[in-house]
Formats: sequence, C-alpha cells, structure tokens
Amino acid sequence: MSETVKIGKCIIQTDLHYLVEDHSWVRFNDDGSVTVGITDVAENMAGPILHVYARKKGMRQKGQSLATIESGKWVGPLKAPITGEILEANAALDKDPGVVNRSPYGEGWVVRMKPAKLDEERQFFLTGDAAVEAYRKRIDEQNLKACAEVAPDCG
Amino acid sequence: MREDAEGKKVLVIQTHGIDTPRRTYSPLFYAMAAASMDMEVLVWFTMDGTSQLKKGAAEKIKLDPESDVTLRTMLERTKEEGVKLYVCQQSMTLFGMTEEDLLDGVEIMGAATIIDLTLGADVVMYF
Repeated sequence: MSETVKIGKCIIQTDLHYLVEDHSWVRFNDDGSVTVGITDVAENMAGPILHVYARKKGMRQKGQSLATIESGKWVGPLKAPITGEILEANAALDKDPGVVNRSPYGEGWVVRMKPAKLDEERQFFLTGDAAVEAYRKRIDEQNLKACAEVAPDCG
Repeated sequence: MREDAEGKKVLVIQTHGIDTPRRTYSPLFYAMAAASMDMEVLVWFTMDGTSQLKKGAAEKIKLDPESDVTLRTMLERTKEEGVKLYVCQQSMTLFGMTEEDLLDGVEIMGAATIIDLTLGADVVMYF
C-alpha cells in the first residue's frame, strides 16, 4: 500500500524501491517492466528542473547514465538502478521538465526499463520503513539542507 | 541523445580564475554535463585558471549570494562526477604555488602532457 512519509519537506513514498546513494527510485510494474525516476530529495536539492535529456532506447548497465538532469544550479546523471533495456523515456518531460519537481514519483518518472538481471540486483534496493530510515540517516549525515522545512513565521 | 556520445573524450581548458568569477562556473558545469552522459572528461587549468585551485581561494567565490554553492562546491562536484582535474606546472610557478597549496585531487602536468591530451581528445572546449 502506498504511504508517504515526510523527512522535513522531502517526501518518501513507501511502496517504491530506492537506491538512496543514487537518489533514484524504481517501481516494479505488473508487466515485468520497471519505471525509474529521481527522488523528491534529489529534486529538492536540484531546484527547478530545466532539462531532462534521456538516453535513447537500448541496453544500459547498472550505474550507467539513463538521463542527464539539469537545473539552474546542478547537472548530473540519473544512474541506471538496474541493468536492462530502456523501453521508453517520458516524452512529457521534453516540454515540461518541471513535472519532475511537481510529481517526482508520479508523472515525473524518467524512463521505463526491461530488467535483465533483476534476480541479482533486487537485493540492492530499500523499500518501506528501511528506505525512510536510510534516507533520514543520509540527510542527517550529509546535512542536506534542501529538505529542511522553512521556519514558521511566529508573527 | 546521440548514441555515439558515450565514451568520447572531452577536454575542457580553463584559463580563467578567481579574478573573473563569472567565467569560472560554466566550464565546470559543462564538464559535469558531459560526465553525466558517460563521457570521459578532463579539465585542464592553466594561465589564470590555476588560481582557483589554490587552497582557500575557491571558497570565496560565489555567483549567487543567496546560494550555498561556491566555486569550491563546483570543483568538488566535478570530481565526484568522475571528471579528472589537471593543472599546468608552469602556471603554478607563475602564481607562486607549490603542490602543498593545491586542492586535493588535482594532478600536476607539464606542457607536453596538454599537447598529448589534446591529440587524444575527441573534442576540446576552450574557455
């Protein structure tokens, strides 16, 4: 069941599977494909996303770039969380990359893949409470200010 | 994205330093973008570009006063993305810098090396 947990202003959706170190999430779909995106923590760190430049369809090894994501102050890869084939990129991001900020776990997905080694690679993901705690720890250890709530106005 | 981009070698030459802050961020940004596309990226700091690699210098350069991101942040991010940083030995001498003055993770090379790197690169971006 999908539940959202807030760490500061950043949201973790507990039904998804995460590679916290790469700020990526995956959703295992009923048809055997995997949907991949960046986490709410990542989009908060990046700020308004200006471009999402996805790789073309084809095989990618775990850790290779699936897309280059650019904001005004950051540019970096969405690393492949699994080995597999890119089936499609989210075409909606071409015209409106800001949807990654508005809906990182929904309409802001980046690519859909066909896994090649999921039996081996599934063990690397965290989900549910374990994912929330791992992210909480990372945010604390690295002092990720992007998730800090703005102090309430007491006036 | 061009499929033949992956594995290409990009050499970025940076000749601007802390006296011209607005010319310091973009070359690193392009280097990170290329690295995020699975290219092999090298940044070569020479002439005034050498000044930004002196310990304590890049922390003072910030383009957006509202942001926490300094030039030092950009240099660290560039390294984290797997970009290799090189500095010109002769330029260091010009700035009175020794190896101890240099940020960690920057390799010192001579002029012949830059020629070699240039010949080996698929594309050279000069700033």
